[in-house]
Amino acid sequence: MRLGRKYGALVAMVAVVAVVAVTSCSNDNCMGNSSGIPLAAFMEGNNKVTLTSLTVYGIGAPNDSAIIRNSSASQVYMPLRITETTCSYVLDYNGTEVGNDTITFNYEIIPYFESRECGAMYNFNITSWEYTQNAIDSVAIPNPMITNSDVVTINIYMQ
Amino acid sequence: MTTARLHRIVMCLIALILALPLLAQEQHDRKVTPVKPATNKVLTPPKGTDEKIIQQYLTGDTAQARAQERKDSLARIYPHYPKLTELSLGLNFGDLLMMAFGQKYTSIDLSATLNMWNRFQPVLVVGLGRAKDTPQDMNFTYTGKLSPYFKLGANYNFLFKNEPRYQLYAGVRLGYTTFKYDITDVNINNPYWGETGINYEMRGVNSNALWGEFLAGLKVGLFSNFALGWEVKFHGMFKEKKNGNGKPWYIPGYGTRNGNWAFGISLYYTIPLNHDRWPVKDDKKGNVKKGN
Repeated sequence: MRLGRKYGALVAMVAVVAVVAVTSCSNDNCMGNSSGIPLAAFMEGNNKVTLTSLTVYGIGAPNDSAIIRNSSASQVYMPLRITETTCSYVLDYNGTEVGNDTITFNYEIIPYFESRECGAMYNFNITSWEYTQNAIDSVAIPNPMITNSDVVTINIYMQ
Repeated sequence: MTTARLHRIVMCLIALILALPLLAQEQHDRKVTPVKPATNKVLTPPKGTDEKIIQQYLTGDTAQARAQERKDSLARIYPHYPKLTELSLGLNFGDLLMMAFGQKYTSIDLSATLNMWNRFQPVLVVGLGRAKDTPQDMNFTYTGKLSPYFKLGANYNFLFKNEPRYQLYAGVRLGYTTFKYDITDVNINNPYWGETGINYEMRGVNSNALWGEFLAGLKVGLFSNFALGWEVKFHGMFKEKKNGNGKPWYIPGYGTRNGNWAFGISLYYTIPLNHDRWPVKDDKKGNVKKGN
């Protein structure tokens, strides 16, 4: 009787441990980006708009590489430099009479450990920003802390 | 009424009066089989009845005997263990075991469990935890320094009618730890701007955490005073020290931050207390009666 009860308990516990081992498996995927990166959206009022024939590139980027070149876009990632605390982007509205716009970001670089899945990275605290107003009406950054969350952090309001 | 009818009625009455003695005589002559009274039968009490109760019945104190019988019956259903039943010292080696399966962190803790009435069990846990991991295809090494943790809580033993050697319990814990960790070997690339191989490290980042646990456990007697126990825990963070440079991956005593489930395996050594007041077994079915 006692032996039966003991083995019954052992079997029960092995089953419980197996269930826990299965259910305790964590999500090994990073749900955000692998680094802090601003995502800028083009807005008209409260609505997102798509700009056609748009080229976006960073001033000083190697090989004149562009984030997008002569493409349609309603939003665009603008990675910040990690060896300097300022960087500028040019918005070239190809084929229009409107001149290019330039946006400059000044920021603090913050080393940050997000998680085992996403790793170590930099976050950025944008302290100030300037922009020209050829086609841009204004630039708003409601939350200046740029993390790896895949959400719009910069609103570029077009004229 | 005619004279003839009146005459018939009078004659019937006379005949009835004359027949009464004959009926009485017939009743008197009927044979009745006598029943033998059972005054000499030996009454035997139910098997297992206490001798004291039998004596109380024999002396005619039936009320006292019945009260004692009821008390003994309740003692069999709800055996009464003393307030301080036993003290168990446990060593949780579940994380050590999991390291053999590739787990990158470990902890070991000692627990003291006071079993009261074989039902309520206040528990104190003191332990140490550490972690070290360099995940493949990632850009860092995480080192959780060896740090202490504490847990305070209680269990409720559902098998309180049985011997304390076998316990099935549910419990709660409040855990606290203060700890430090390093993030080293960080390597960051920023391909758009051509910035590659940027390194940094964060050393001695300190944090603390307060959390709660619900758990279910089983304890099985092995030999002598040793027992083995398993616990399944569901935990959640109450409070954690914020840090501008990130969140710790490993929290001593809690485990990793992703996932709410954990389990433990412990070896216990039990010291019986007030053993002379424990209920003792009195039949083959394992029923117990109150001790002296």
